[in-house]
Amino acid sequence: MTSLRIGIDVGGTFTDLVAVDEDGRTVFAKSPSTPADQSIGVLAGLEELARRLDLSLRDMLARTERIVHGTTVATNALLERKGAKVALLTTEGHRDVLEMREGLKDDRYDLRSPPKPPLVPRSLRIGVRERLRADGSVLIPLDDASLADAIEQVRASGATSVAVCYLHSYRNPAHEIATVERLARELPDLYVARSSDVLPQIKEYERVSTTVVNAYVGPAVRRYLTNLERRLRESGLAGSLFIILSHGGMAPVEEAGRLAAATVLSGPAGGVAGARRCAEMLGIADLIPFDVGGTSTDISLIANGQAALSGARGLAGERIALRSLDIASVAAGGGSLAQYEGGRFRVGPESAGAVPGPACYGGGGTLPAVTDANLLLGYLDASTFLGGRKALDLGAAERVVDEFSARLGMSRDETALGIHRLINLQMADGIRLMTLRRGVDPRKFALLSFGGAAGIHAVEVARELEIPRVIVPTVASVLSAWGMLASDLRYEVSQTHAGAGATIDDVGMRRIFADLEERATARLREWFAGPIRIERSAEMRYGEQVFEVDVPLDEVAWDAPDLVARVHERFHARHEELFTYASRDQEVVFVNARVAAVGVVPSAGGDLVVTQPMTAPAVTERRAFFDGWRSVPVYRIESLQPGAAVSGPAIFEAETTTVLAGEGDRVTVNRYGWLDIALRG
Amino acid sequence: MTRAVDPITRSVVEHRLSSIVAEMGEAMLRTSYSQILNSSRDFSIGITDTQGRLVAQADHIPVHVGALPWATKAVEERFKDVVPGDVILMNDPYHGGSHLPDLTAFVPVFDGDVRLFWTIVRAHQSDIGGSTYGAYNPDARDIWTEGLRVPPVRLYEAGKLRDDLLDLLALNTRIAHDFRGDLAAMVGAARLGERRILKLFGEFSGPVVVQAVEGLFDAAEARSRAIISTWKDGVFEGEAFLDDDGHGRENIRIAARVTVRGTDVEIDLSDSDPQTTSFVNSSHANMQSACVMAIAYLLDPDIPKNAGAFRPVTVKAREGTIVWAEPGRPVTMCTSHPSDEIVEAIVKALAASCPDRAMAGWGRRFRIALQGEDPRTGRSFIWHMFHARPGGGASPAGDGWSSAGEWHTVGGLKFGSVEFAEVRFPLHFRRHEFLPDSGGEGQFRGGLGAALDLVVETEKPALANTAGDGARYGACGMLGGKDAPPHRYMLLSEGREPRMLKTKETSIPVRSGDVFEVRSGGGGGWGPPEKRDPAARERDLREGFVTAKGAGQ
Repeated sequence: MTSLRIGIDVGGTFTDLVAVDEDGRTVFAKSPSTPADQSIGVLAGLEELARRLDLSLRDMLARTERIVHGTTVATNALLERKGAKVALLTTEGHRDVLEMREGLKDDRYDLRSPPKPPLVPRSLRIGVRERLRADGSVLIPLDDASLADAIEQVRASGATSVAVCYLHSYRNPAHEIATVERLARELPDLYVARSSDVLPQIKEYERVSTTVVNAYVGPAVRRYLTNLERRLRESGLAGSLFIILSHGGMAPVEEAGRLAAATVLSGPAGGVAGARRCAEMLGIADLIPFDVGGTSTDISLIANGQAALSGARGLAGERIALRSLDIASVAAGGGSLAQYEGGRFRVGPESAGAVPGPACYGGGGTLPAVTDANLLLGYLDASTFLGGRKALDLGAAERVVDEFSARLGMSRDETALGIHRLINLQMADGIRLMTLRRGVDPRKFALLSFGGAAGIHAVEVARELEIPRVIVPTVASVLSAWGMLASDLRYEVSQTHAGAGATIDDVGMRRIFADLEERATARLREWFAGPIRIERSAEMRYGEQVFEVDVPLDEVAWDAPDLVARVHERFHARHEELFTYASRDQEVVFVNARVAAVGVVPSAGGDLVVTQPMTAPAVTERRAFFDGWRSVPVYRIESLQPGAAVSGPAIFEAETTTVLAGEGDRVTVNRYGWLDIALRG
Repeated sequence: MTRAVDPITRSVVEHRLSSIVAEMGEAMLRTSYSQILNSSRDFSIGITDTQGRLVAQADHIPVHVGALPWATKAVEERFKDVVPGDVILMNDPYHGGSHLPDLTAFVPVFDGDVRLFWTIVRAHQSDIGGSTYGAYNPDARDIWTEGLRVPPVRLYEAGKLRDDLLDLLALNTRIAHDFRGDLAAMVGAARLGERRILKLFGEFSGPVVVQAVEGLFDAAEARSRAIISTWKDGVFEGEAFLDDDGHGRENIRIAARVTVRGTDVEIDLSDSDPQTTSFVNSSHANMQSACVMAIAYLLDPDIPKNAGAFRPVTVKAREGTIVWAEPGRPVTMCTSHPSDEIVEAIVKALAASCPDRAMAGWGRRFRIALQGEDPRTGRSFIWHMFHARPGGGASPAGDGWSSAGEWHTVGGLKFGSVEFAEVRFPLHFRRHEFLPDSGGEGQFRGGLGAALDLVVETEKPALANTAGDGARYGACGMLGGKDAPPHRYMLLSEGREPRMLKTKETSIPVRSGDVFEVRSGGGGGWGPPEKRDPAARERDLREGFVTAKGAGQ
């Protein structure tokens, strides 16, 4: 038996695990998630995985070279507001940056909702006497007495975590470092996040908010990961444990604990990693991963084989300016409820959730959910849903839809179809906005359908957007855990260079990047002995514009004599791509230089080929609504041989998903057993 | 012959329309040139029908929304022979426009030979000619001083650009290159909307879309009426004041008499003070729009902003008053002032009718622009202050938002980073924090304004201008809640008497080392202060939102 790699994805309901050996043999396991302490579900899942490998847990872990883990500890702490009690030490006279939110408020017409309390209340935002100038020089030295007083306030408050963020510290971290050192001496048990460490970039709101989030989720993330690693070691793990970060790269436990704010999208990042791996296997450069769950649809973008990143994201209303995968969430899923109020018919954003769930789950739901409509239209089969493990209550679905359609003055079919159609529109709108904002045309992409509820909607959503092709991988539910195994190690550093932008020369620019490269490489070397690739990018803007454009610089010839001009030209070109024009006569301001050191990990051997047990006959028929009621063939996906071709209308079922193809759509089964659907022209 | 369209088709059409305006907005954002458009999003997107009824709009600028129908009506009146491919352009406040910077492009949408809709893009121009850059000129005494007036004109005739007309327009603005770029973006976005609507006709047919739209109007109207039916009937009065007109007239009154009867609301602004000689006059369309904005705030946030929603509302006013100036008067300030005061007077009046909906006053706009030379680079600069935002009003749901802005921006205007401002301009932000005690007291407290101590680090003398209001009148309290203190801006200069800044000043001399001591007011309080939860009072003191002195201790 050769050595193993294990991917672990903790989802809301299930923890999925996948083990791959050197020969590419792949084994899956699934266990219920345990939100209170995720490591319980993880350990139980590992036991199950070992059982499926015919090994003891200890033997399996002893042979495990690497575990890659996606965790939702930070996500949940932030969403449920169950993070640490945080104090903020900041420049005197500027302690409200966090709560001012740059003057912004979300809903323009909602003047009757009070603001949400900030993660750090004002009384715990403590001004320290010190001030740097914009060039990093000291205007007011760090005042000992003021700092001592601030630390005393922190002690008295009972805070368990501290964020330190001073103005212009991206230029000169000396005051922050001195503050952190003193904190470490006087309050050694506290978690400390320093802004010049977390996000050494200009713009105080983004920096302070990111640092505060880091301090808020940091203790929980560090506690969980340290605990998990200890238990794995005790159980015999000899290899390394890596955590997937929001940017899709992975890092060791210690680093994830330091940069905890970078783990808030750790979970969904696995899905994107899986999607990227699919793109690679299929040789498709441009793909839109489309993941439909019960309450929401997650949309991301893979362009030219790379997952789109964004520095302008946040979670739960908190700004996190670390670069992360650009994942848009639309409040539309299988549980979205139909509503009819004041003559207006809509679906969502309210969801039936897990309780009561759609009416057909038999939990007493009184409004029709999308899943109820799908059942009535014949798209789902009451007896084979989730491999027959959850029988659906057709009568309950009929009752709620009938009641609802009476209010609309429409028939049952019209109503169910209306619900199905409207949710498709909303999902399509989410994709349309995502692609528009990135300056790309969705028609050039293929849609990758995963997540249990995606298959019923994917083809119609694609049609709506004129996307010509839909791919449905089999066992999409373990895509995340599997995709993680293909992630690279990644360490990012950045440096602000605003202000001197107009005067930066080739030598200066090379120096900035060389310094960043050295730092990033040195850090990555501590975790990783293999080959390291450097990715350079920069954020730049025109003159007084208030937003920057992130410009990849990988294609710039770094030794060229006119480096600055070439970098500026990349910016103009990117600006043109995003905004349709460039202003080559305008001043270009170079704001942030960014370097990622990427530790390139060889792909887990082999492609994802999984055989599932057959639980039903290969082909059956049922009545379903495809431009009218008709009898439609229903195929078991696992019964289809590679190369098989089917014309729509047809329904395809597997244990965890159902896929619809419409009239004239052409479905072929690729060499991995996945569905590859060409939409009618 | 008209068969009512079913609710689902209606809903699909509604989604399509809102997706169309969203896409037009994204296109505008991506293709416009000037910063005010692509960074500050000071533009609006709408679709109207040929009667000027608003069909759909993208939620950008509340004060633009209610104005587009009037602009459409002016276009319809001027042109009876519109053909596909035409593009109409306008900005004139005396021809359906709001104020000169808001240039508006219209593209007609035909179903076969029948013209059904207009797609509209309205965008605030950074410059529109006139005697000063950017049109905000406290010294202006007529509209010609404020900028280039454009009545409805055909920029394109049946798809062909009238480039001589474009040359004329561009020549009369200071940054012709940006002007041309922005205009191309506006026309591009409006045409994109046209194409998408034509596709919608292909899907459902024009008549079905029109019927669906009628249904959407009816549904929105029904929702509005259902809400208004819960309001108390009666005749209610409210008033609000502008500090001054900058030309010597003070305490200019905006008066609203609002009659609620059943599900109808009549707003009568006829008793408002006479018009002035300065740019604080309102145009007719802007006044109408301010009334719609006030009602939109009082209805539910998610009510569709279409013509149906506002059918229950009628507006009366008198020409020659501050809210509806006679032709020729300057009006540039009107989209903020007196818009904010019109909203405040209406909400104040209706507080007696729908106390559980009326929110207290939001702050007023008071801005500083500084012009000088950066000693570090030797280059000249102009800096506009967006910092020190005023506070939002409290509401029956709770305390107000601090530093969230004015009635007309309501949290939609981002102020830039202090660090970036210090890097780019010779300025030192010594302090930029909430201003304690600046929120109006009440059962629910108004959001806080801000304190900014700004040190000017130029070497050569610089010049400052101000524009705005609210140095005399703070945001109003509601239903027993207290008014917020007004703005108080001082200029401190070594060896000179501190100078209290007025809201409409030009060419204020500023010397090296001078300090602007900016104290912006908060939002008004809601409900009697004695009803405030003691725990909330305790929190205010602990968090420093209120000082012991401010609490009267």
